[in-house]
Amino acid sequence: MTVSSKLAALGVVVAIAAIAAYALLLRVAIVRNHPEGYVVAFALATALAALAVARARARRWPAWLVLGLTSLLLAGGAWFNFVAARVPDTPTVLRVGERPPDFTLSDAAGRDVSLSEYRGKKPVVIVFYRGYW
Amino acid sequence: MAELQGLGAHLSQAEKAGVEIVAVSPDPNERSQKIAEGLHLGYRFLADRDLAVTRRYGLVHAGAGPNGQDVPRPATVVLDRDGVVRWFSVTRNFQVRPDPDDVLRAVRAL
Repeated sequence: MTVSSKLAALGVVVAIAAIAAYALLLRVAIVRNHPEGYVVAFALATALAALAVARARARRWPAWLVLGLTSLLLAGGAWFNFVAARVPDTPTVLRVGERPPDFTLSDAAGRDVSLSEYRGKKPVVIVFYRGYW
Repeated sequence: MAELQGLGAHLSQAEKAGVEIVAVSPDPNERSQKIAEGLHLGYRFLADRDLAVTRRYGLVHAGAGPNGQDVPRPATVVLDRDGVVRWFSVTRNFQVRPDPDDVLRAVRAL
């Protein structure tokens, strides 16, 4: 195995490992909350593929193929994480030390529940959930 | 769903009894009920179908749904016994949710 093909293979392994690790460890807070990690891994894979192209002697196309694929992953991953997944800042009414507006919504049993029901009784954690649509 | 599971898994039985975890979701109640039962967590799912509450809280990600509809901006709020906000987190990237440990620290500090 030539140095070039070793580098190209390593690039493929890094890219696949990044995708697998992110997908499998999505429930681990530190993985989920650092999505830029997969972008960094794709950048590393792209760099390895670029080195493979530079070191290739005779058969250059495998290295070029890997470079093409890893570059696509890098561009796609960076676009997704830094552009598509960005949530624009909105002015929220939430202020630490203040009471947020009361609301009444129905629960799964169809019962109306008001936030103020808990006042004086229990602390509340409200999770605004994105939903499945 | 991951943030809810994380939160539930980190709470002891006593803490689960001492704090109400309310999930406000745009999904229909039946669906949320199924999720809640599947997770055996006893969270209270409240359906905000038209995002009226989410909007009043300023937590709408405009036009981000698959058909260009508005969807909630993921957020977690910790209220003390008097209903006063003690901690909150609003995401800037929809892949990111607050670390359950941070939420728990805020709950335990009440």
